[in-house]
Amino acid sequence: MIAAPAPVNRLEKLKKRAFATPFDTVISILVLLFLAWLIWTAFDWGVLQAIWRAEDVALCQEAGAGACWSVIDARHRLILFGLYPYDEHWRSTLAALAIIGTVVLSCIPWFWAAKRLIPLWIIGFATYYLLMEGSLIGLNQVTTDKWGGLSLVLFLFSSVILLGMPMGLGLALMRRSRLPVLRLVASLLIDFVRSLPLLTTLFTAAVVVPILLPDWLQGDKIWRVIVAFALFFACYQAEVFRGGFQAIPAGQFESGKALGMGKWQILWLIVLPQVFRHALPATINMVVVTFKETAVVIIIGFFDLLASASAAFGTGEWVSYYMETYVFIAFIYWAFISSLGRYGEYLKDRMRQEEH
Amino acid sequence: MSFIKGWAASAVIAAGLATASTSAHAESATLKTVQDRGTLLCSGHNGSYFGFVEVNDKNEWKGFDIDLCRALTVAILGDPDKNQIVPLSWAQRFPALQSGDVDVVIKATGWTMGRDTELGLQFSLPYFFGGAQLLVRKELGIETADGLEGGVVCVQAGTTIERIVADHLKTIAIEHEMVSFEKTAEVIAAYTSGRCDAYAAWGPSLAVIRATQIEGADEHMILQDKLSSEPISAAMRQGDEGWVDIVNWMLAALIKAEELGVTSENVEAMTANPPNPTVARLLGVDEGMGSRLGLRDTWAREMIATMGNMGEIYHRNLGEGSPYKLPRGLNNLWSEGGVIYAPILD
Repeated sequence: MIAAPAPVNRLEKLKKRAFATPFDTVISILVLLFLAWLIWTAFDWGVLQAIWRAEDVALCQEAGAGACWSVIDARHRLILFGLYPYDEHWRSTLAALAIIGTVVLSCIPWFWAAKRLIPLWIIGFATYYLLMEGSLIGLNQVTTDKWGGLSLVLFLFSSVILLGMPMGLGLALMRRSRLPVLRLVASLLIDFVRSLPLLTTLFTAAVVVPILLPDWLQGDKIWRVIVAFALFFACYQAEVFRGGFQAIPAGQFESGKALGMGKWQILWLIVLPQVFRHALPATINMVVVTFKETAVVIIIGFFDLLASASAAFGTGEWVSYYMETYVFIAFIYWAFISSLGRYGEYLKDRMRQEEH
Repeated sequence: MSFIKGWAASAVIAAGLATASTSAHAESATLKTVQDRGTLLCSGHNGSYFGFVEVNDKNEWKGFDIDLCRALTVAILGDPDKNQIVPLSWAQRFPALQSGDVDVVIKATGWTMGRDTELGLQFSLPYFFGGAQLLVRKELGIETADGLEGGVVCVQAGTTIERIVADHLKTIAIEHEMVSFEKTAEVIAAYTSGRCDAYAAWGPSLAVIRATQIEGADEHMILQDKLSSEPISAAMRQGDEGWVDIVNWMLAALIKAEELGVTSENVEAMTANPPNPTVARLLGVDEGMGSRLGLRDTWAREMIATMGNMGEIYHRNLGEGSPYKLPRGLNNLWSEGGVIYAPILD
């Protein structure tokens, strides 16, 4: 183990880095001034001069008025819940919390076992579906075309990851298989899907499939889209896993064989844990990108966060305040994605500790 | 998307054969589907389209096109809420119609030859005329584009508006200068800073810009001239004549009601005491309005009582009762100087 470096005086370090020469000092001060100005302007606009309540919207038109958060006050339920019926918003809230809870719990190492993880996800998704759809537990039925806003984004995202991860692993294993048929099928599928834009894939699932398939084979639009999206994710993720496999030296397999372990034992106990570790940074990247890409479903007529935000300012009363609306949803995206990123950092640290 | 065309063509042939084999007064397969389902499927939008398709604070659809869908729902099912508004993007609306995801597309859709023929659609009579219009300062004191002699007109670059305005002003022999900008915000800035005398754009959009993006909106006005005209109609699948009849007469009844002075306010009084035979027929006092279409005789009365007539729907969503205050112009009744008319109600 390497000894920790001696603690350095932070002030000294800063001085050495930013104020070493007069030229450095000038540049540093200019940058600091610019940053201060930027932060002050944003603070002044967003907080000090801002108008907060929907009733005060008239004040937004006055000279010197800052951000008009009235639009959020008046329209936040549209942004967060899309077209979900107004009186049933508590269901959408609980459903979103169920998904967030499921994701948070499955991030805790104690849950990392199939016997805990699988029931957790089944319960989480069942709770979401039963609450959102409603008719199975005696609430008013809300059809999937009315699902929207943040709850829909969270549902799409977690379903795509949940379906796509095992599919991706399966495809990666198929591509490494000794059987030529499996290998060929996997490579063809991966290359084909990766050569199409996500938008085309989703548009095909949402719009073209109903024209080609008989009614009983179609299923609801939301499921078709989730399956197509998951397939798209899986094909990319398969390549990420393949990279992870290639990083593992052949000696690992051979040592496993020498210990008398079977093929699947070697895979499950020796290879895969290392594959996951190698693939982790790229996987977190994929997950973050997927969260943001859910916004593409706006094109096939889903009322996701972006669509409901544009509907929120898409009326004569609120059209001037699109900036505030975008800032609001940018904050929501930032909150979720930075949490994902933070968790990724934690995982990497944890795995590094395990290695030593 | 030739396979869609192929599909549409075969559907048209199939539907054509089906129609030929039934009786002369067309029975609508779509109507039957809607009645069996108990819900009408209409087109919504993925976001909102000013004045036509929007969402209110209670997460409910509203707007001119939405009100027409609700009126159609009352006509068929007797309750404006028995519909499902399916959110669709612009590109999705026709495939969704062909695949049966919606029963009708009422979504600011222009009646074009390509859509009518190649896409296998059928259009209703136009219920709205949109077109290029001009926004000017009231202080110019002009009423029509004739007053723009020697003026500067600003437009957004790369749209059809540019050519339409040039054509129109050339036709009426008005000397002018045209300045085009890349972005909407730039055109607005040029107009408000006084660089241009007039701002040309699609009428309904211009009304939104005037109402919301320009300070002192009351000092500006949209000229009545329509420099181009785009008839906006409801789109349906080809081959269901009976369904087209229903949508057409739904629109016709709303227009006729306005023409005859029947409003949501006075519809009950008019029913109790119809001033003339046409009103009596429209409101189902005399029999016959419904059975010809396969609906109830009182469908138009119920529709007007719930949704109002065409004028009321316009007023509420686009006119003085809305934030847009779009002058009716061409969208007035023929008797008021517009081009909106209904076929004869006999």
